[in-house]
Amino acid sequence: MHSSSKRTTSGDLSKILEALLEADIQFILVGGLASVVQGAPITTMDVDIIIRPSSENIGKLMSFLKETDAIYRRPNGKTIAPIAEDFSGTGHILLSTRLGSLDVLGSIEEKKTFEDLLDHSVEISFRGHTLRALDLKHLIRLKKESKDINDRQRLAVLEETLRQLKEKG
Amino acid sequence: MAEGHPYRNKDGVDISLVAAFLRLTPEERLVTNDNAVKAILELRDAFQQQKDDKRRSQQNP
Repeated sequence: MHSSSKRTTSGDLSKILEALLEADIQFILVGGLASVVQGAPITTMDVDIIIRPSSENIGKLMSFLKETDAIYRRPNGKTIAPIAEDFSGTGHILLSTRLGSLDVLGSIEEKKTFEDLLDHSVEISFRGHTLRALDLKHLIRLKKESKDINDRQRLAVLEETLRQLKEKG
Repeated sequence: MAEGHPYRNKDGVDISLVAAFLRLTPEERLVTNDNAVKAILELRDAFQQQKDDKRRSQQNP
């Protein structure tokens, strides 16, 4: 198990994505990093993914979480490791791994699940894998409905990114 | 800071920054974010360390 001081200086979010893909876990990248990968110049401190909630996929995710010493990210610093049952619902599981912060979401706004979002995702080549991310248009729609102040602040940047992408064709 | 900035859109977004970021590959964008995160975390740790050192020196002058 890694010390908490080591966790605070880890921010290798690309490595988290690469390791998730290498573990053959089915997920859609959502949140800030999905915007970054599509060209929005923002900084985000965590990886947000929505996973396919099949037992096989959750099994692969659990192996990955064990390898990366994942524990719940809690304000009181209590060390609790996730269990497979935690990922069968639609809630948000906020984790700290030795590579950085990882939020595993069962659903996002309007209770949309992995299956609902599949048609609104794009495929991106990344380190020999295919990374699936929620498309910019849909990310903007979600941010417009969000009550999170960070989401509202980023909205204008995302809209400008989409405008320039459309201009480029 | 925004005043006099030549490349802001009506919402205050720096359009030159967006254009520059769009010229990067997806991997380059992710690495740029990683570098930013690492820098933020290092600065945060350094600030915390400084606060701790100051508290200790006040307790044990």
